[in-house]
Amino acid sequence: MRALEVQNLNVAYGKVQVLWDVSFHVEEGESVCIIGPNGAGKTTTLHTVSGILTPLSGRITFYGEDVTGLPAWELAERGMSLVPEGRRIFPNLTVLENLMAASYMRRCRDSFEENLEMVFDLFPRLKERRDQVARTLSGGEAQMLAIARAMITNPRLLMLDEPSMGLAPILVSKVFRSIQRLRERGVTILLVEQHVPVALRVSDRAYVLENGRIVLSGTSEEVASNKKVREHYLGI
Amino acid sequence: MLELLLQNLVNGILMGCVYALVALGLALQFGVMDIINFAHGEFVMIAMYLVFWISLYLAIPGSLTSLIVAPIYFVFGLVVYKLVIDRIVGTYPLAQIAATIGLMVLLRNLALAAWRAQPRGLQYEVLRGSVTLGPVVVPISRLTAALVSVGTMLALHWFLTHTRLGLALRATSDDMQAASLLGINVRRMFALAFGLGCAIIGIAAAFIMTFQQVNPESGLTWGLISWIIVVMAGLGGVSGVLLSGLILGMVEALEITFWDPRASLAVMYSLFILILWVKPRGLFGRR
Ligand SMILES: Nc1ncnc2c1ncn2[C@@H]1O[C@H](COP(=O)(O)OP(=O)(O)O)[C@@H](O)[C@H]1O
Ligand SMILES: [Mg+2]
Repeated sequence: MRALEVQNLNVAYGKVQVLWDVSFHVEEGESVCIIGPNGAGKTTTLHTVSGILTPLSGRITFYGEDVTGLPAWELAERGMSLVPEGRRIFPNLTVLENLMAASYMRRCRDSFEENLEMVFDLFPRLKERRDQVARTLSGGEAQMLAIARAMITNPRLLMLDEPSMGLAPILVSKVFRSIQRLRERGVTILLVEQHVPVALRVSDRAYVLENGRIVLSGTSEEVASNKKVREHYLGI
Repeated sequence: MLELLLQNLVNGILMGCVYALVALGLALQFGVMDIINFAHGEFVMIAMYLVFWISLYLAIPGSLTSLIVAPIYFVFGLVVYKLVIDRIVGTYPLAQIAATIGLMVLLRNLALAAWRAQPRGLQYEVLRGSVTLGPVVVPISRLTAALVSVGTMLALHWFLTHTRLGLALRATSDDMQAASLLGINVRRMFALAFGLGCAIIGIAAAFIMTFQQVNPESGLTWGLISWIIVVMAGLGGVSGVLLSGLILGMVEALEITFWDPRASLAVMYSLFILILWVKPRGLFGRR
């Protein structure tokens, strides 16, 4: 089944249009990435898909249902989950409270204990710090918390916006190892990254977004072997 | 002199608890939706009239009307949220200021037209008399008001820290966008915060009326006191609000003892400016 289908998305901030006819899709169980330079419109794309922004035109279909224009909280109810750029954990809540807040939705309540065990298993560090106020976490821990928080919501589609941003290289590979683990568990993933080599490694397919337009798409191997991508993104 | 100071300090501490309760409603609303309701004092004033009229017509003690006024005011808060606040959250600060100052002027003038400038006080109240502790005389009405204030604050604190809804409110207060991505309907949280803030005003008003009269200008003082406390407390939670209220109450007590009671609002306002100068994020704020 197709988890997400985005057709001809046009998005503007006020009068300034930043996305032009953007189309892509994610199959259930698949891991897809969108790569592109800073300012290309990656965050705007994820914000529109997750209901924070409303498109000028275009259509967003989630597991067969037209969800264009629904508010973020309703899309979350349906199983969309976004790990936002810059993590956006709740700074004044403890680690555990951050995770509990993610089980606010009725459909997540019964599975909370089980999911909590799962994310503590995935990120033992968070278990050690469960009663610590989240604003005191390091960047890497905060990113793990943001991913864990999303996993508590039983996502049918997990979207991650530049999880490597601001992290030391050793932590980047740690975060990507956990994304790989989620992928192996069968979680459907849409990843947005500037860190192209690692992003391609954990994805089945990739799209290249430049200046608000999709300029290239294909399997991760195809995209990785593209001449332009090799020059501009992989530095080969 | 020492006895007078002691007496005034005790009064100041009791009043400080009540100030904190009145400000708590505003602090909750500001904390969750980043909006300052300039009509807050007028909400207190209207609630005090409500206490007066309900007590008069139902012939029940003013303190007891809190059980009626609090739920009425919760609904009043939801209605004001739907009609006014929902349109202005997240818009330009200027639109928010204009809308809530407009509400302030509207309520004050309606009160003037309806009830004239003549002050009204409860006809019937059971909280009378006082207890004497050595040199200090403590009026039962003020003591009860202070205890109810602290009790209400503890109850709100418990609600925020021990319930699912309270956690969702705190999450919304921290980051409304991240909260909405977790399925929290933040508009519903805003309405809840606004309604709760108003219900708290309802409780406070009933107990204030046991020792004070109301007139259409009463809102000014309560508004000013609440803004000062919210600025002092920063976003420091319930305990920050209580401490700020106590500080304000004691500053007022010192001012009354050593200077002129008529200057107390001026002194409070100066304190407010001083805090804006030295700690613009509040004494107890976390961010
Ligand atoms: N809130 C905003 N208001 C106006 N313009 C914005 C806003 N957010 C992003 N933009 C613009 O939209 C374009 C795409 O930004 P963004 O989606 O954040 O790119 P990316 O995530 O790929 O770095 C950029 O030119 C940026 O300046
Ligand atoms: Mg971005």
